[in-house]
Amino acid sequence: MQRTLLDHLDPVADDVVSLVLRGADGPLAPWEPGAHIDVTLPNWLTRQYSLCGDPADRETYRVAVRYDPLSRGGSEYIHRFLRPGRTLDVSLPRNHFPLVPAPRYLFLAGGIGITPVLPMLRAATAAGVPASLVYVGPSAATMPFAGELRAAHGDAVRIVATREHGRPDFGALAAELAPGTLVYCCGPASMLAAAEAAFPAGQLHAERFQPLPRVFAPDTAFDAVCARSGRTVPVPADESLLDVLNHAGFSVPSGCREGVCGSCELTVLDGEPEHRDDIGAPEGRMYACVSRTQGPRLVLDL
Amino acid sequence: MTHTLARPRRLSMEEVRARLGEPESMLENKKIDHIDGFIRRFIAHSPFLSLATADAAGHADCSPRGDYPGFVKVLDEHTLAIPDRPGNRIADSLRNIAENGEVGLCFLVPGMSEVLRVNGRAYPTDEPDVLTRMRTEAKAPVLAIVVEVAEAYFHCGRALLRSRLWDPASTALADELPSVGEVAAAQFGGDLDPQHFEAVLAESYRKLF
Repeated sequence: MQRTLLDHLDPVADDVVSLVLRGADGPLAPWEPGAHIDVTLPNWLTRQYSLCGDPADRETYRVAVRYDPLSRGGSEYIHRFLRPGRTLDVSLPRNHFPLVPAPRYLFLAGGIGITPVLPMLRAATAAGVPASLVYVGPSAATMPFAGELRAAHGDAVRIVATREHGRPDFGALAAELAPGTLVYCCGPASMLAAAEAAFPAGQLHAERFQPLPRVFAPDTAFDAVCARSGRTVPVPADESLLDVLNHAGFSVPSGCREGVCGSCELTVLDGEPEHRDDIGAPEGRMYACVSRTQGPRLVLDL
Repeated sequence: MTHTLARPRRLSMEEVRARLGEPESMLENKKIDHIDGFIRRFIAHSPFLSLATADAAGHADCSPRGDYPGFVKVLDEHTLAIPDRPGNRIADSLRNIAENGEVGLCFLVPGMSEVLRVNGRAYPTDEPDVLTRMRTEAKAPVLAIVVEVAEAYFHCGRALLRSRLWDPASTALADELPSVGEVAAAQFGGDLDPQHFEAVLAESYRKLF
């Protein structure tokens, strides 16, 4: 956990504010493009936001938050009630969306999905790697940082206002993709689906900010065998692995509790986890808030 | 209990007025008919309220509601929504509201002496957009209570100051009470085992949402 002071809270587009958080106890933890932090709000809610500032700036983090009319209390709180000067606890940065070295990049961003892409584009450009961005939103007024991007990257940035020009043709982009190009996409579910349909899976890296609606096999009970502590904890069908472990006295951190943020990552030593997260758990890992197993047991490094 | 003690004497409203005097007119004016910025901010920080209802015959009931701060959603300047989280399914409040929509709410913010009071008319809803805003831990409540606000105002802090409600030392009062298991054993009788009752209750508290 890092203590920060909210330095600025400024509108950067219709219904979007940017927050500049200054480290209250010296320099902040370093991060790479694609990383996000958990921000704990005064109303006890924890929300995940991609870092969209400059990784070289160790004094401040910048995030941007779109107001969601169906807000459960995160974006609504930030837009309506949060004021500069407030102290906010934030997590260490985590990165599920790292920029993998490539000879060429194509970035696709939809709306507030621009946030992780912003430092990626800057890093690629600084490293001299050819990179272009297609930035999609309903209208220019709803798209944060459009001016900043155009000023810094000129014609490498194509802004598509769908109300005027319709959605960009990802098929055409895919057809003219130079070999070896990696495609990074962050945006709403419809945009990710279009990108997944257009680009080869091996070339596409996607980050979603809402869990994908999916249907899973019914929840079953299983045993969590905690290898390091030598304890076996039964997990009933109607409780999450995360809750059971924490009730049993393990301190597994948690954030979104819906398989998006990755706070509750566990190391799996044996057993077959049924992954239900939207992060894409690496081999030997699982996210305890949503993932379970259909088998009798999971052996965990706890 | 014996019947030798007379019932406490009952006063008419005129007699009450004679003893209290007239209210300051400023206090009547503090009531507003909508949710302004101050009230909205109070609700956004309140994790607890009490909900008063009455049935068609006027029989009253008062029930506690709590969740994370801001669990009551402001839908617009005249409308609130309170999530109806799983409880004992007795639904006293909802049964009363079905007969009589008039409700009274008292919102508390820990550490704050003033209380927010809201009166209005209520009805139950399962409107998806309302329930979505109440989702916690990937679960939405199945119902919410919509309150159309008639009057809203801040109640002065004397009651909470006198009661020392937010003084951490006040929690020592709970040590003087019997456990809930002991109370249940005495009130329900039978062969109820207090320890077992408390274990079952503690188990049910593990799933709050």
